[in-house]
Amino acid sequence: MAQLRQEYQKFVERDAEVIAIGPEDTASFQKWWRNHKMPFIGIPDPNHVIAEGLYSQKFKLIKGGRLPALAVIDKSGRIRLMHYSDSTADIPTDEEVLALLDELNKETK
Amino acid sequence: MIDKKVAPQAPDFTAADSEGNSIRLSSYKGKRNVVLVFNRGFF
Repeated sequence: MAQLRQEYQKFVERDAEVIAIGPEDTASFQKWWRNHKMPFIGIPDPNHVIAEGLYSQKFKLIKGGRLPALAVIDKSGRIRLMHYSDSTADIPTDEEVLALLDELNKETK
Repeated sequence: MIDKKVAPQAPDFTAADSEGNSIRLSSYKGKRNVVLVFNRGFF
């Protein structure tokens, strides 16, 4: 999240909005989001309606938490990358996502 | 990258963000790309 905050402008330059979805309750999420002055959209999803219900984010009981997931959606509303992490460290890098956005923007031009 | 021809439509949702604004995913369609990040949780 911290790195994404630093790199956010690069996403904006690539015509992308970043929307983070978290499992916390609304009050905790809002407090954290404001304290860290996050520049992009954050949605608390305490009942996992979006994360699990729509996008099948996994919950790994052995680690006591959710595994991160990431989706890249193009301008036609299609999912062009859906990554489900196997561990907390297994997340596409910002560079990988930015490169993918460059490819998507070439398609739509 | 998933080929455009077979890429599924992203499931739409409308939800309140941290500031109480209503966010509808499909409102970006035809306008911007969207990166959805599903967090593990902060705490």
